[in-house]
Amino acid sequence: MATHTLGRLIGRLILGLAAFSAVFPMFWTALNAFKNRVDIVTPTPLFIFEPTLDNFAYVLGRESVFAGLVNSLLISGAAVLIGAALGLPAAYAIARYPNRWSRDIQFFVLSLRFLPPVAIAIPLMVIWLDFGLYDTRLSMIVTYSLLTLATIIWLSVPAFARVPKEVEEAARVDGYGPYAIFFLIALPIALRSLIGAVAFAFVLVWNEFLIALMLTTSDAKTLPIVASELTQLGRDVPWGILNASVVLLSIPPLLFIGVLSGMLNSAFKRKTQ
Amino acid sequence: MKQKNSLPAVFLTPAMGILAVLALVPTAYAIYISFQNRELSRPDGSLIGFANYIDLFSDRRFVNAIGVSLTWEAVTVGMTLLIAIGLGILLFECVSPRARNLLALLFLVPVILPRVSAAFVWKFAFHPLYGIATYPYKAITGEPLDLLSNPATALATVALVDVWQWGLFFAVIVLKLLETLPPQPFEAARLDHARTWEIYAFIALPMLKAPLISLAFVKMIESLRAFDLIYVMTRGGPGIATETLDMYAFSQGFIESGRISYASSMAVLMMIATSIAFTFIWKRVQ
Repeated sequence: MATHTLGRLIGRLILGLAAFSAVFPMFWTALNAFKNRVDIVTPTPLFIFEPTLDNFAYVLGRESVFAGLVNSLLISGAAVLIGAALGLPAAYAIARYPNRWSRDIQFFVLSLRFLPPVAIAIPLMVIWLDFGLYDTRLSMIVTYSLLTLATIIWLSVPAFARVPKEVEEAARVDGYGPYAIFFLIALPIALRSLIGAVAFAFVLVWNEFLIALMLTTSDAKTLPIVASELTQLGRDVPWGILNASVVLLSIPPLLFIGVLSGMLNSAFKRKTQ
Repeated sequence: MKQKNSLPAVFLTPAMGILAVLALVPTAYAIYISFQNRELSRPDGSLIGFANYIDLFSDRRFVNAIGVSLTWEAVTVGMTLLIAIGLGILLFECVSPRARNLLALLFLVPVILPRVSAAFVWKFAFHPLYGIATYPYKAITGEPLDLLSNPATALATVALVDVWQWGLFFAVIVLKLLETLPPQPFEAARLDHARTWEIYAFIALPMLKAPLISLAFVKMIESLRAFDLIYVMTRGGPGIATETLDMYAFSQGFIESGRISYASSMAVLMMIATSIAFTFIWKRVQ
């Protein structure tokens, strides 16, 4: 028994270290975002210092960061809306009306994830240049819709499949048509998992980097691009400002952590029942 | 139920139409460009057949990039699964359900961070002079430790960040998978005085073989998206030590020479290789 408790203790220690490694880097970054440069560039890391808001004031006051924030919100938001408006009905049709193409359709949607982003970004750049839409929000929204649509369909099919068939059957007996069943029955029942799928799609395009890097140069630059440009600055690096911009970039995805963990839970619950 | 209704067609056609156009047009166009000699500064190229592809095979940087990409895939997929299974079992075995849920939530933080953020956070942590991860080494030896500028350690250091993001996330999934298993085989094995590690090695993990293979598959696909981390942390350097295929295609097409046709032929080869490999694996998994 003694070895058993010892083993458990070591296991907990490892888990504690892992949890520390998960959270500490971001905590340290947030701390640095409130430091003056002299407090960051020290031979020993400082935990106690005089906090300053200068970094955030500078970042938020910079036109490029503000424009990136607006672009990211508009582009990600619109792409997610398009993805949800078209993807949720499609996922429902795949889940509830299986036909001989259903498996192929699902495989096609999944296979879009196999495409290397470079392979899409290079031709799209040429295409958008030819259309005169290069470096515009519109071209970014259309491009990102490919990502959100595929992701939302892929994640929503199981969510709709989990809606009890009997409920829909009962509604049909009560005289509901197929569209009414989708909007009034299936959609509300599956809502929690669907919100998770949509949130995941949002995080995905909010964090997207390579395609945005290739398809924008100034007007439509998203926040990850602006932040990465700040991190590539030369020798006299404004570390505090960098940390502040990274914190700003990371806040929106972290807001969704509860929703995403809920989606994970409901995705695995079915098997236990 | 069986009467004809228009819902499947009405619901599926727009989504599938848009997906098909958005996926197939760029793919076809990538192939078309790869047969040209188009450059960023000269928009009108002419068709040159397979010349780009032939050049690729005598391009030592391309061969190097294939090696880096394959190493990256093997290291990140293998390490992610090892860490995920290890931590997942510890979560299942060592802590109370409440602590389990809290830890599971914390383990999700790294993967939700934008990769640009994760890359910067660690790049700064590994800074030879001011980094907090290199500080202990510097304090003990008095020498700065510069992992990202050393060709021998740069790729492993970037891979660490990828494994940090995905290993912890997959640990949560392994935990959820373990929770779905029926308890009876565990109890039976305990009655037979099986050791804990034996229970997992011979009972639990074999029962989870199919979902674990799916996880490996997902990680293989995600590992192809190494670009963000590498771009922010090393830009393919030092030299070409961390230059993966997408990094090399990007620098050929955009940074160095603007040879988009050449870059495109690389992208097409990647597309073919990954499509064949993943279709094959997917059919095997099913």
